[in-house]
Amino acid sequence: MAQVRYVSASRVYGKNAPPAVDALDLEIRDGEFMVLVGPSGSGKTTALRMLAGLEPLDAGRVEIGERDVTFVPPKDRDIAMVFQNYALYPQKTVAQNMGFALKMQGVPKDERDRRVREAARLLDLDDQMLDRKPRQLSGGQRQRVAMGRAIVREPRVFLMDEPLSNLDAKLRVQTRSQIAELQRRLGITTVYVTHDQVEAMTMGHRVAVLARGKLQQCATPRELYDNPVNQFVAGFIGSPAMNLQTVPLTDGGARLAGTVLPLPAAVRTAASQAGLGELVAGIRPEHLHLANGSGELAGEVLLVEDLGADALLHVRLAGDADPVVARTEGRTPPAPGQQVTFHVQPDDIFAFHPVTGARLAG
Amino acid sequence: MTVIEDLAPPPKVEVRPRGVSRRERWQRRLPLLPALIYTIVVTQIPFLVTLYYSFQSYFWNTTAPAHFNGVSNYKTVFTTPAFRSALWRSVVMTAAAVIIAMILGVALAVLLDRKFFGRGVVRTLLITPFLIMPAAAALVWAGPMLDPNFGLLNYLLAPFGVHHVAWLSTHALGSVIVVMIWQWTPFMTLIVLAGLQSQPPDVLEAAKVDGAGAFATFRELTLPHLRPYIELGILLGSIYLVNVFDQVRLMTNGGPGTATTNLPFYLYQQVNYAFDIGGAAATGVVTVILTIIVATFALRMFARVFRFEEAV
Repeated sequence: MAQVRYVSASRVYGKNAPPAVDALDLEIRDGEFMVLVGPSGSGKTTALRMLAGLEPLDAGRVEIGERDVTFVPPKDRDIAMVFQNYALYPQKTVAQNMGFALKMQGVPKDERDRRVREAARLLDLDDQMLDRKPRQLSGGQRQRVAMGRAIVREPRVFLMDEPLSNLDAKLRVQTRSQIAELQRRLGITTVYVTHDQVEAMTMGHRVAVLARGKLQQCATPRELYDNPVNQFVAGFIGSPAMNLQTVPLTDGGARLAGTVLPLPAAVRTAASQAGLGELVAGIRPEHLHLANGSGELAGEVLLVEDLGADALLHVRLAGDADPVVARTEGRTPPAPGQQVTFHVQPDDIFAFHPVTGARLAG
Repeated sequence: MTVIEDLAPPPKVEVRPRGVSRRERWQRRLPLLPALIYTIVVTQIPFLVTLYYSFQSYFWNTTAPAHFNGVSNYKTVFTTPAFRSALWRSVVMTAAAVIIAMILGVALAVLLDRKFFGRGVVRTLLITPFLIMPAAAALVWAGPMLDPNFGLLNYLLAPFGVHHVAWLSTHALGSVIVVMIWQWTPFMTLIVLAGLQSQPPDVLEAAKVDGAGAFATFRELTLPHLRPYIELGILLGSIYLVNVFDQVRLMTNGGPGTATTNLPFYLYQQVNYAFDIGGAAATGVVTVILTIIVATFALRMFARVFRFEEAV
């Protein structure tokens, strides 16, 4: 049980390469489930490995429970890690895999067996499986053994590096909730790395979004969704992604698809202060409301993706704007080729600086 | 839809490609025939001839023609102490050389399995002994290295109070074994190095996180992982070293006395000193049978290594 802090932690691989992790400042509270999310190359895995001690820091420091562990080897950090490919010990049985860390700590055999069994029960691994070798297990079972190996330790921090990426879609959803539930029950501080924003949103108490080695935003999933601080976070969080269009500014708002979208006063003020002639407007798919011909945005339906509960409309708006995606009720979606109009609430429009990508007040 | 597809039986795999006639198959294999015939001529026919002579009484130094004498050659093989002591010496030499070479090989491989400046050069230098002809190596060791008066070893040991030791007379067996080890350590290093480099790095990282130190990681994870590679190295090394001849012939000539007479050298003596073709043939047949037994184990081990590779 411990809090974790990154203080201006940096990692540079090549001499002239940009830092893989650039002055990361992040505080993870005791017992918190923190998800690091970002596209590949964002530095999320490097950040996790720095915390594990598998990657040295080039600047800054890392603390676990108030203690500076920057130069502490992994084995003395009291952490447990679940690897992307599980990294089970191939020559050891499941029970030996799970009990290895305890053996290294010199825990007597009886105690070890008891704790392995306990962890196995927690993960629904039955007793006969404990005597098998990892190669005799299915992917899902291996994943659970890897989890078990981490749990048996009762470490201060769990580190998980995309532990679900090798599972099929259905198992992934199932295991996702199991891990979140298990973490809640054990109350152990967890840092979880994923590139999947759905995993990030559903599992994390808070989510840290990284891009190109820099922390973009760290907030609760709800806050990230409702209040992204910049264009990257807005585009990364949410599925399907937010519609982002560069639009010219006019007196009352922004010009899009032949009409003027009204913008909130605060955004207009911010834009004029920055001396902008255009900005990037972002509208989430569910904020484009179908409005039987009376909406301000008109366009033609190109494609309908029916997801059951709802449908996604790919629409080319009037003018030469890129197609946008709108989420609509699934029962009676318009057909491809049909002309539709949308209504948008001014408050649902996000505005970003066209160059820096920063959110314009709103 | 997908469910139905999943339930469909998997397509049967044809062992023999369909539409290939008997004639076509022969045409495909025909080019291999000369190699097969050559192999038979140079290995199987001499073996049959050897088998024939092993039942004959045939001496090169008499004018008497060869004549059938039953299994008496084999009786001699199994009753003469010379054969047994040569066999035992072969076992001792092979076992000592292979085991020590393997221990050194593991140590060197572990040292080589990390990045350091000049690794490529060091690796090449370490492999060199394996590339030298056994006869050349034996001559270099017997002369410049181990000579009682001018040898490098005595020169190097002089500061420690060792003077003019005639290594090849006083420590003959040990000296021959040292040369065998010197020559075979690189082979073991290469095999073990291949094993080390096939160990997934994330397993080693997992061990670090699990609190295992370097020694515990080696004992608990690396050594079990290396086991099939070590077994392979030991068996291949044994097959080669049980036949060692060059070093014995050129360094000690089997002596002093019979101190370094192993099976191949004993066979050589039977032909070239005793001119006993029948006896030598019988000894050879027995040696071949013993070698086949060892080789069978080796081949099984091969199969195991490949199974292991597949499973991982």
